[in-house]
Amino acid sequence: MYLRILKKDLKRKKTMNVILLIFVILAATFIASSANNLTTVNGALDNFFEKAEVPDYWFAVTNTPDMERFEDLAEENGYDYFNSRLIQIEPKNVTVAGKKCEYSNTLTLSKLGGINIFDKNDKELTEINDGEIYVTAFMYQSTENNYREGGKIVIKQGDVEKEFTIKGYVKDALMGTAMVGMTRFFVSKDDFKLFDTENAAVSNTVEVHTDDPDYLDKFNKLGLNTIMSIDGSMFKMMYLMDILIAAILLVVSVVLILISMVILRFIINFTITEEFREIGVMKAIGLKNRKIRGLYIVKYLGIAVIGTAVGLGLSFPLSNLMISGVSQKIVMSSGDNYLINIAAAILAGALVVLFSYFCTRKIKKFSPIDAIHSGETGERFSKKGIIRLGKSHLPTVPFMALNDIFSGIKSYVSMVIIFILGTLLVIIPVNTINTLRSDDLITLFNMTKSDHVVSAELLFNPNEDNKAKIERQFDEIRDFFADKGIDVDVFQEIMFRSNVKKGEKLTNSLTFIGMGGVTTNEYDYLEGTAPQNVHEVALTYLTAGQIDAHIGDDVQIKVGETEKTYTVTAITQSMNNMGEGVRFYQDEDLDFNYAAGSFGIQVNYKDNPDKSALAERKALLEKLYPAAKIYTPGEYIGYMIGNVAEQLDSMKTLILTIILGINALVAVLMVKSFITKEKSEIALLKAIGFTNAPLCGIQTLRIGIVLLISVIMGTLISIPLTPVIITPIFQMMGAFSIEYNIKALEVYVIIPLIMLGVTALAAYISAQGLRKISSSQISNNDS
Amino acid sequence: MTNILEVKDLCKTYVINKRQNNVLRNVNFSVSEGEMVAVMGPSGSGKSTLLYSVSGMDNITAGEVDFNGKNIAKMNQKELAELRLDEMGFIFQQMYMLKNLSVIDNIILPACQSGKVNETRKQTLERGYELMRKLGIIEVADNDINEVSGGQLQRACICRSMINKPKMIFADEPTGALNRTSSDEVMEELAKLNAEGTTIMLVTHDVKVAAKCTRVLYIVDGNIQGEYKLEKYDRTKLRDRERALNGWLMEMGW
Repeated sequence: MYLRILKKDLKRKKTMNVILLIFVILAATFIASSANNLTTVNGALDNFFEKAEVPDYWFAVTNTPDMERFEDLAEENGYDYFNSRLIQIEPKNVTVAGKKCEYSNTLTLSKLGGINIFDKNDKELTEINDGEIYVTAFMYQSTENNYREGGKIVIKQGDVEKEFTIKGYVKDALMGTAMVGMTRFFVSKDDFKLFDTENAAVSNTVEVHTDDPDYLDKFNKLGLNTIMSIDGSMFKMMYLMDILIAAILLVVSVVLILISMVILRFIINFTITEEFREIGVMKAIGLKNRKIRGLYIVKYLGIAVIGTAVGLGLSFPLSNLMISGVSQKIVMSSGDNYLINIAAAILAGALVVLFSYFCTRKIKKFSPIDAIHSGETGERFSKKGIIRLGKSHLPTVPFMALNDIFSGIKSYVSMVIIFILGTLLVIIPVNTINTLRSDDLITLFNMTKSDHVVSAELLFNPNEDNKAKIERQFDEIRDFFADKGIDVDVFQEIMFRSNVKKGEKLTNSLTFIGMGGVTTNEYDYLEGTAPQNVHEVALTYLTAGQIDAHIGDDVQIKVGETEKTYTVTAITQSMNNMGEGVRFYQDEDLDFNYAAGSFGIQVNYKDNPDKSALAERKALLEKLYPAAKIYTPGEYIGYMIGNVAEQLDSMKTLILTIILGINALVAVLMVKSFITKEKSEIALLKAIGFTNAPLCGIQTLRIGIVLLISVIMGTLISIPLTPVIITPIFQMMGAFSIEYNIKALEVYVIIPLIMLGVTALAAYISAQGLRKISSSQISNNDS
Repeated sequence: MTNILEVKDLCKTYVINKRQNNVLRNVNFSVSEGEMVAVMGPSGSGKSTLLYSVSGMDNITAGEVDFNGKNIAKMNQKELAELRLDEMGFIFQQMYMLKNLSVIDNIILPACQSGKVNETRKQTLERGYELMRKLGIIEVADNDINEVSGGQLQRACICRSMINKPKMIFADEPTGALNRTSSDEVMEELAKLNAEGTTIMLVTHDVKVAAKCTRVLYIVDGNIQGEYKLEKYDRTKLRDRERALNGWLMEMGW
């Protein structure tokens, strides 16, 4: 009997069962592959760092006395360290496959030594032949330069010029992501020597291995002029974006599981309501509740088993695809994490079965007499629709669609939940991506807004007058535009790495000064007021917290060999180096020979040009700086933090596609179930003269109205939810107060319209099924 | 009197499991304007199929059905639906109504959809109330359909069938689900409508119901075996009409 009932059920509710199966497959696939992705990336990072022998601390200094002072400290405390020299090269002096190298952060030349470097096959790279060059994986992946095995890279530094053959990419744990802000080409020892000339800008990067808990204190007290200093625990944060992407996919998977459950609940409730009489008959002839529930659970067990198995099968290639991007950057663990896939998929299937068990509890409540007598759920009708056709001015189709919704709000709850979840799943990542791409984000990177940024970062050479060099560039741009009658502000952020001290508390932080036509008043501060004289500074939350400094406190900051006392007048925020930073007053006299680097040159047009004028001026800047790239502030930040925004962009498309698919399937499911449930009413309407068009219209409009309400609710919920979800991620990177860039047209109009269009189309196509219902079926529900 | 419905050689065949079932075989009859025709016959004789076929609710296999000068056999589904909406009224045994609408909204729904009568929604509503008043159910107008009795509901169905001022009403066992009192009340209303000029064709098993009609068609195995004409309905002569009809039916093998 079981089999016969099951067979009948599978045949009658084919669409519903197929849709449920699709959701179980999707949920199992995504949860298995994203759990695999997350654990693999996380585990692989630990494994990679261990294999690469990543140091506990890492810093870079440019001058020999500083290096010597560290060597004394290391000897005194028995620190194990490795010093490797890096030659800074200007991207404009590098040609990749015949084209200028596009890179706006620090580019260096290195030889092997220190941490272990791995080739694309995860083999440790022990030797490089003369004339060969290796590129870090994230550079190799970038689309702006055409790196390929066998391709040519020409490097020119002073009088030295050499052509190299690209041997491939390497996995470099120290400079393997864009977030580090620095990368390197690996060449042979002899080739390195060629470029290691007197005039070369060389920095010593030191990898320190120690478990001394006081190391940082001792190191900071040295007061070295570092251009970079990273604590070992920060290395993993550099891969935050890769972990973030894995985490977003896991969230999508969890939402898919939730949606599967909501659908399961809907289908079970629908089936039980529809088969109320049959259940009553089974009870009347003496079948126990457990047996009757078993009948339903067996079906869902079957769907869960098939769905889990198929989902698991699909999850393997998807897992490989997901980690393919990451596996180019890091050395993966030797064993595959397929057990994770199996466990996660089984968990998804088990949840479906468990949930179906809970949902069938309703069967216990039915009395056989109720069922046999009424043939329906036995519930008395509650007061129906709150709107009246006679008093409404709406045409019949929208009226009936609205009235159906108001009369049975409960039956739309599942749909509303799914659509709201879908809306949130689209809007929150879109808001995040738009914020990450917004021009305003530049204010979180110790910069202020401008119209254009020229990727002409400075290479500070102790043998030159760096300040004069900067000012010459500013004059050049100002004069260039003045000749064309355009008044511009030109400025640039110069970075130092300084010791910042308050009493006994000491930290090492990036410090910034805006050079040129910019004042401290033009930056954003969270508390206090902008520094107004050379004795005042603003600190980021992180830096202030590290030395317990507050507004009004005096702090000592050492730049180069000069230590001065400054009063803290403001607290600010920064995403540079996970939140550290100090801002000097613009006229403060700092020794530029100790500068660690700079950002691009910013240009602000005083006449507030419109879009087309901006495009023309960009072209002018391109003429003036043919070797550089001209960015908007948003593009510049995107460029600095790597192609994260691009990755998130493709994820946005993926999520939108998934949500559209889900909405379409849900619409099909709902319309099919409504048609089944309302067969006699549809036949009645046909009998009294309704044609198919208005009837399809009612079905489509109902779904459309529910989607519209859900999208509005989802959008409203997303407003407080976006910061709740996204702020912690920004906080990890040092930004505590974010102004989200919500593109109203995209988020509130375009995306909802796309969702509405696709879902309504699915509902409309599905509603065509009612054409098969004839008016004469009015008295025959089963025919 | 003009014929509003003319049926010629009507055949209806169902194919179930590759087996042909000829439900109607060359049926011929006509209905004149103002008539009230009952179709009687044993169970499975094809009464309801005949009603659904001539009213355009079901496709016919062969023959011609001419309704008010239009051959409905040649109409597509959309045209048939429009015909049903504007020119026909329907009453069913089970008092089918949309449960999400109040009684009055169910009644005026065809008028709101049709737009045949050029009027405002308020005027439509007024007409609906007027019909309900006429049929004595005005007090339940704003009730939900679960709040009214079967008899009241069937009278509401009559109101709905009347709302678009149809040329003809088709009723499939309109009293089949009612008790005797309600059944009598409903039939009185239908007889009144007929007396006012509405053409009615109904299917029934009940001699008391058929006795209120002006003509009875007797159908057996998809063929009309005979017809019995009655005088215009007169309540005082109901018993005589019933007796006479019963006699005829016995002759027909009832």
